[in-house]
Amino acid sequence: MRISSIGRRLVPAASAGIAVALLMQAAPLLAAAPHAAEGMAWWGWLIALFVFSFLLGIVAVLAGVGGGVLFVPIVSGFFPFHLDYVRGAGLLVALAGALSAGPPLLRKGLADLKLALPMALVGSVSSIVGALVGLSMQVQNVQLLLGIVIISIAGIMIKAGKSGYPEVKQPDRLSQMMGISGLYYEEYGQHEVSWQVHRTPLGIALFIVIGFIGGMFGLGAGFANVPVFNLLMGVPLKVAVATSGLVLSINGSAAAWVYLFKGAVLPLIAVPSIGGMMLGSKIGAKLLPKVNTRTIRLIVIAILALSGFRSLLKGFGI
Amino acid sequence: MTEKKKGVIYADRVQLTYAKTLEFVSHSVIVVMAVGYLFYLLQLLPLGLPIETIAGNWHLSSAELHDTMQVPCGWSCFSSLSTLLHGDSVSYASVVFLAMATTLCLATAIWAFFSEKNYFYAAMATLQVVVLLLAASGIFSSGR
Repeated sequence: MRISSIGRRLVPAASAGIAVALLMQAAPLLAAAPHAAEGMAWWGWLIALFVFSFLLGIVAVLAGVGGGVLFVPIVSGFFPFHLDYVRGAGLLVALAGALSAGPPLLRKGLADLKLALPMALVGSVSSIVGALVGLSMQVQNVQLLLGIVIISIAGIMIKAGKSGYPEVKQPDRLSQMMGISGLYYEEYGQHEVSWQVHRTPLGIALFIVIGFIGGMFGLGAGFANVPVFNLLMGVPLKVAVATSGLVLSINGSAAAWVYLFKGAVLPLIAVPSIGGMMLGSKIGAKLLPKVNTRTIRLIVIAILALSGFRSLLKGFGI
Repeated sequence: MTEKKKGVIYADRVQLTYAKTLEFVSHSVIVVMAVGYLFYLLQLLPLGLPIETIAGNWHLSSAELHDTMQVPCGWSCFSSLSTLLHGDSVSYASVVFLAMATTLCLATAIWAFFSEKNYFYAAMATLQVVVLLLAASGIFSSGR
């Protein structure tokens, strides 16, 4: 009871704190290269990264977005690390989060392997291509494109709706052939939900694009997986969210190898990011029923827009 | 444990096998990663590169950093026992383990699909493992 009241006050304050901290940092940093802002000892940056990742982990769960999509634009914008290592760490953050969330969701029948595998197969190939393209581009161009993608994601988060139980009157032939359908128990309404999908070929095509973007920028891409599953293919929202994690774990793993082989993963940066984000996500999941997620989501959209704008400026060399 | 409602199982055997492997692997990854990082930060083993040197150059791109010094990449941490016994290599190896986690889970799913005689998905999971193994071989990342 006491924890819940603390959570109700603490979490919006934490998200607002992140936003204010970013705004305060933004002004001097906008005029300077990131490494020029290094006034702190290396261990200070690592502690800051751990604490920041921890807070992001809490906020990301409450806002219903993946860790990677917040991590990459914010850390690349406001920490002194090169974008290569931030993208590498971002992919691993998303991968670790998806792996640790997976087992209970698979057991409940919410994460569905038969739905995930075809999407992950095409997505993993395109995420490898995306990672190769991203790492071969000039960092300023990547920053510019990242800014555009992040601002677009903020726009999608404002505009996109969601449907708890979309109606699929007639499953398409491909999904029938592959046996993609399922049944789960909805604990909230205490009833069974059976589902099937349509527009599978278009879904597969979109997962190619999503995989490419995820690999290129080191983003988790849950922001795009969920609407494609839910709004396009007619997968119930909970199954869409859970299965998105499964797809993400496979795509993230494929792209992570490219970053590992290109030397774009520094354990010094990646491990505290993963640890902080995973701890924060666990706290966030416990606070989820107790806080006003709408306010958090709005703050996160604002943070994303700010980070996207910062990336755009860096892309223009400002 | 399977989630049930009046005896109904909502996950098939393949999913339960995948979940069981995933749970074991993800917990192992967390432990290995935490231990590896402690070895690295506390310098319980000698380091290949001092932390200060890495920190002094983390603003460089990965290509520039590799031109300047020998940081671990790909499977290089396993190139010899003496390399693996460095604190930074141990921490890097834990990250490699994280990247391998999904492949290990999918390998068990292939077996489970085969035993269910679901050859279509067994083939698809095999193809997925092949893609991940090719990525892990560095074949896509050569030419740096």
